[in-house]
Amino acid sequence: MKKRKFTFLTFSFYAFLLLIAASWYFVIGVKNASFLELFSKENVAYASKFFKGLFGVGQEEIAFLNRDSWSYAFTLTIETLQMSIMAIGFSTIVMFLTVIPAARNVADGTLTLSRKWYRWVVFGLIRISYIFSRAIPELVWAMIIIFIFKPGILPGAIALALHNFGILGKLCAEVIEDTDSRPIRNLASAGAGRAQILMYGVLPTVLPQFLTYILYRWEVIMRTTIVVGFVGAGGLGQEFKLSMSFFHYTEITLLLICYLILVIIADFISEKSRFFVK
Amino acid sequence: MLSFDLHKRKVLTLFLLLLFAWSLFGVNWQEGVMHSSGIGPAAEIFAAMFTPDLSLDILILAIESSWLTLAYATAGMSLALILALIIGILASGVLASGKRSRTYMKGSFRGVLGFMRAIHELVWAWLFVASFGLSPYAAIFALAIPYGGILGRIFADMINDVPEEPILALKATGASRLQCLFYGYLPSVKNSMISYTMYRYECAVRSSAIMSFVGLGGLGYQIQLSLNDLHYDEVWTFIYFLIILVILIDGWSNMLRKRMQL
Amino acid sequence: MSNQNILEINQISKNYERKIALSSLSFIVEKGELIALIGPSGAGKTTLLNLLATILQPDSGEVIVDGKPITQYADQKKRAKKIGIIRQQFDLVGQLAVIHNVLAGRLADWGFFKSLFSLFIPQEKQVAMKALERVGLPDKAYERTSNLSGGEQQRVALARLLMQKPEIILADEPVASLDPARADDILDMLTKIAKEEHQTVIASLHSVEYARKYFTRLIALKNGELFFDLPAEHVTDEQLQDLYQLKELK
Repeated sequence: MKKRKFTFLTFSFYAFLLLIAASWYFVIGVKNASFLELFSKENVAYASKFFKGLFGVGQEEIAFLNRDSWSYAFTLTIETLQMSIMAIGFSTIVMFLTVIPAARNVADGTLTLSRKWYRWVVFGLIRISYIFSRAIPELVWAMIIIFIFKPGILPGAIALALHNFGILGKLCAEVIEDTDSRPIRNLASAGAGRAQILMYGVLPTVLPQFLTYILYRWEVIMRTTIVVGFVGAGGLGQEFKLSMSFFHYTEITLLLICYLILVIIADFISEKSRFFVK
Repeated sequence: MLSFDLHKRKVLTLFLLLLFAWSLFGVNWQEGVMHSSGIGPAAEIFAAMFTPDLSLDILILAIESSWLTLAYATAGMSLALILALIIGILASGVLASGKRSRTYMKGSFRGVLGFMRAIHELVWAWLFVASFGLSPYAAIFALAIPYGGILGRIFADMINDVPEEPILALKATGASRLQCLFYGYLPSVKNSMISYTMYRYECAVRSSAIMSFVGLGGLGYQIQLSLNDLHYDEVWTFIYFLIILVILIDGWSNMLRKRMQL
Repeated sequence: MSNQNILEINQISKNYERKIALSSLSFIVEKGELIALIGPSGAGKTTLLNLLATILQPDSGEVIVDGKPITQYADQKKRAKKIGIIRQQFDLVGQLAVIHNVLAGRLADWGFFKSLFSLFIPQEKQVAMKALERVGLPDKAYERTSNLSGGEQQRVALARLLMQKPEIILADEPVASLDPARADDILDMLTKIAKEEHQTVIASLHSVEYARKYFTRLIALKNGELFFDLPAEHVTDEQLQDLYQLKELK
């Protein structure tokens, strides 16, 4: 047993070294990407122009010194915040609807004390949907969704929710799998039915942990809102892309400032809430 | 008096529900949220899910782009790991001598890590492309910076959570701070570092796939092209390749994690 | 009808893989008896209690509860009216407030909406408060259960049993993880309540002192068989020594 473990770990180690070497060879050798070329005169001139642009050097209209731009950016910030809350709301709702049959100890009946064959079928289907949802990045979801919905924060929220409900579902199903079954069994022996076991035994135990995960995902969603905006899903991201294409560099700076403020606030709330919920 | 503990969760739940309700007001529901012809494409996209394009050219293209995606992710991740180790160790403050310099060091390097991960990888990519042009390095750096930030922060937390006793014992034998790091801290957190890096590697593959949106190739780029041409069956082929790639890495990292716990 | 047989155990056997847990065990319990199951670990005490709680099924033999075979109490809600269980302190939902854990004893009688509603506004609060008063915890009703000490949690479990009002209480090592003072406290309360409510108690115990002090009848098990079954005052020290002796002298 010990020998096998050793070989698998060493195999993985060398496989990784090989993978890293191959990747770098591919980047440098096949794609002919020269690192030094990044700092060619042309590039340096271009980059310095870009960064000067960001800071508004030598420009007449500087967005981040303009009151109207700020108030416009503020409405966009609120929109982005709404999108993130809607997204986490949607994914939480779907997670709640699916998470209980997705826990292994519910499927095999150890938690609910009743065994049914079809539980495993439901378990499998939901877990596959989780994998599917998780594996496809938000941006790809957004690109597909934008075909169906009008541009705005709703498609953005749906795309973010589609990616996150799988992650949330997987994390929360694991929380249910880790619950202590002793209090649950005792409730059953006190005559509680299945719904009552859920209300009195399972939910109170898992909800605090669920909330931590929900807030953690909200923090991540906040960071990603800007990205789904790139494909037209509203908020700061959409404006960011427009400013990029029109070379309104100072607007980009302004939008980035708003974005950073949102991310820092989300980070702070998610961090603090961990102590609050406990 | 009713205990605050019993009610604080109800208040919190109510507050969160109200927030969600408020967010729904941000949508203009009256004008209709779907395109007038929105149902058609939706049905087509859904139908194409079951009939992915499996012709040879597309498969070859999919394999090539999968490799590109994987290669960028791996290169980016290897760079992120180096960044995370250096900045993470500095941010843990174990190398600082006095109490004051330790707080100072912790604060400043944690700030650096926070900034690195605050900005999404695609925004980094955009900034790099805008300043350096389309180079694979733009994708690799764009991955390395936020992932370095995330890994570094977690590494720093892990090092700070190492139990005191073995370290004090090491110090008692006269080990320097650097020796403490290599003989005390790093060996105790090595396994958790590896499993967390593996977990993030999976995320990096997904991020690498979307690097294409700034024109950097890979699976996402192909998905975008096929979507623009309305070739939904091709879209799903590429998506399935991405899913397989993610599942493979997930499976590998799960196996590794299980072995390391034993 | 005060001497009614509440529980009859006929020739029950239970085997795990190769090991015999119980071999053709029989005894009869009358209503209102306080029975302590004693014996070395592995003697089959827990197996017997689990059989009575229908967590396990016997390989052969039958258990008759109040004149009907236990298998006829398939409905959990009906069974809960006959048999209640108290174990070590890990049987409460730690994140719920104490009052909800007490009210959980009423779940067998409550429908879906009443149980849901009660989580927001506790129902039948007076009864629950009375139960908490009887176990001496009236001021802890709104505290988080996990913040209570082990002895207090066990009292909450007793209050829940007061709500549930089963005819038989099965207690599996109810004081195993408590210090002696608390253990005395809990057993005193358990037997007092059972006497007042005319309930029957079957408790497995590690300690013979507690068994003799609080219970009326001692049933000793050894290697899955009945070793002795006597009124508490008739048990001699020699018998107890034999019971806990490591090797049988033949």
